[in-house]
Amino acid sequence: MATIKGKILVIDDERGMREGMKRLFESHGLQVDAAATGLEGIELGVAQEYDLYFIDLKMPDIDGTEVLRSIKLAHPESICIVMTAFASIDSAVTTTQLGAYRYIPKPFDPDEMTHLVDTALGRRTLILEKRRLEQEQERQMLELSREQSRLRTIISALDDGILVVNQQLDIVLFNNSFLGLLEIDKQIKIGSSIHSCLPAAICKQMQELLQKKHAFSAIKQEIIIHPPAEKVVMFNTTPIKDDQGEMIGVVSVVRDITELKKIDVMRSQFVNMAAHELKAPLSAVQGYLEILTDESIDHSSEMTKQYLDRSLARTKALVSLINDLLNISRMEAGTQRREIERLDISSLLQQVLESMNSEITAKELQVETKWGHNLFITADRSELARLFKHLISNAIKYSHSQGQISILTERENNYIKTQISDRGIGMTPDEQSRLFEEFFRAKNKYTRTITGTGLGLTIVKKIVDAYSGLIKVKSEFEKGSTFTVLLPAAETA
Amino acid sequence: MAHKILLVDDDIDLIQQYEPFLKQAGYEVETACDGREGFEKFKAFKPDAMLVDLAMEHFDSGFVLCHKVKKTEKGKSTPVIIMTSAGRETGIRLSADTTEETNWIQADDYLEKPISPRDILQYLSEKVFKK
Repeated sequence: MATIKGKILVIDDERGMREGMKRLFESHGLQVDAAATGLEGIELGVAQEYDLYFIDLKMPDIDGTEVLRSIKLAHPESICIVMTAFASIDSAVTTTQLGAYRYIPKPFDPDEMTHLVDTALGRRTLILEKRRLEQEQERQMLELSREQSRLRTIISALDDGILVVNQQLDIVLFNNSFLGLLEIDKQIKIGSSIHSCLPAAICKQMQELLQKKHAFSAIKQEIIIHPPAEKVVMFNTTPIKDDQGEMIGVVSVVRDITELKKIDVMRSQFVNMAAHELKAPLSAVQGYLEILTDESIDHSSEMTKQYLDRSLARTKALVSLINDLLNISRMEAGTQRREIERLDISSLLQQVLESMNSEITAKELQVETKWGHNLFITADRSELARLFKHLISNAIKYSHSQGQISILTERENNYIKTQISDRGIGMTPDEQSRLFEEFFRAKNKYTRTITGTGLGLTIVKKIVDAYSGLIKVKSEFEKGSTFTVLLPAAETA
Repeated sequence: MAHKILLVDDDIDLIQQYEPFLKQAGYEVETACDGREGFEKFKAFKPDAMLVDLAMEHFDSGFVLCHKVKKTEKGKSTPVIIMTSAGRETGIRLSADTTEETNWIQADDYLEKPISPRDILQYLSEKVFKK
């Protein structure tokens, strides 16, 4: 039998014929349905596609040719075999024209019939296989076009600029980001030369890359684009090779690195300033030690003590500078571990204040406090303590002896307000504007002997920002300063 | 008559280190802690030489002070020596790298900190006030 185990429909009004064929085919492992009238045949045969149809030409209700026409209309690729006891040339021509596979006269020999079914199913197998291949091809074509449009969409949506150039230095492909990054507002045609639109340095580099026989790795090149604003873009250009390893072009990925460049400059400025600030106290200490170890100089014990005290103060300041630097670096790297808890801000401030008692007594300062009750925030205890310690320490440092400091906590809408005021030396408007700059310290006749790192308020600002808070400064030169910190209030427990 | 030195530095310790030695060596000394005070003292004190720190309230305060001093009639003949710890190893350009900058600043010399009081005295007597 044929490659497929086919399904057969026999349409014949003669019962003996129907049963005889059914027996014969079923003995060959085929599935057989039968219809006793032409209409029943159409109903069954149209509803589902059989592999093979046997249709009697002369039936009492309707003619076999009508049945054939209906079935062929519904299933053009079905194989229909027309049977008749009254074979005529005319009916043979008509049925063949309607698409019948064979026209066979009744009665017939079972062997002959088996052979016919074999051949017919063989053909049917080929038809089904062809249909499958066609469907497969159609699916692949669809997928390919979908894939192409997907790739196009991806390339045009990329934030990075893409440019593909062939060996003749003609533009093969580019996306909108590429035009935007290079500030190209004119139309670029595919196939135009790169010299018409790219900076000369890039053209030269692509040309050199294309001339190399054995270029494998990408070449990076920074290009400054301006005007309108100065912009730095990075071209990352890679050779494209065909299957034989022949160079056929280059692809460039273009990226805006302006911000990275700025960060780079800021970082190196910070390092330079840090180095300068680290060197200053060491220079001072070294100077004192040189005087103290110089045997040609007469050292009074008073002078020795003064020099040693100052050396100690500068050394301590150097240690706190290093701590502050590490602190900032941890905060910027985000490696700071925070243990968030519910904190009563008034009691936290009281603890901080107590820890600074010796400095307060040394300057004979008066501290006035006004504590609000039930003021909670959620934060890391040691971080908040550091924030307020810096602010109170500044209030102490920049107060005159026997001066006054006042601290107040209260609720303000959804925020907890902390206010730390002093009546000390205050700040000029210029000093206020630079307050949070790294390493900035007010320099005037009052601040000469005050040590500090210039990083305290930088840290304060970073902590306040980390908790989505706000810091405000009000100050008047020679009158005093007020720092107000607003931190989001904790939700009521 | 004793030579007059104006010492401008925001670091109180460096002033404390230099001032007594300069006085002991016979100089008349006045000090200032920033560019603004430095310029006022220059006008009032009329020094014979100025030792000026570079980085004070701003990183280039010393350059600016020097430029202002040199623009005055008296300043043209007053040696101004810039001292700095922002040396090349810290990566901060000492400026004065280009002729244009040097011409703008017009400093008479540049010294790298730290400088011991003894070296300062030697420098003043050998380079600035040599007979």
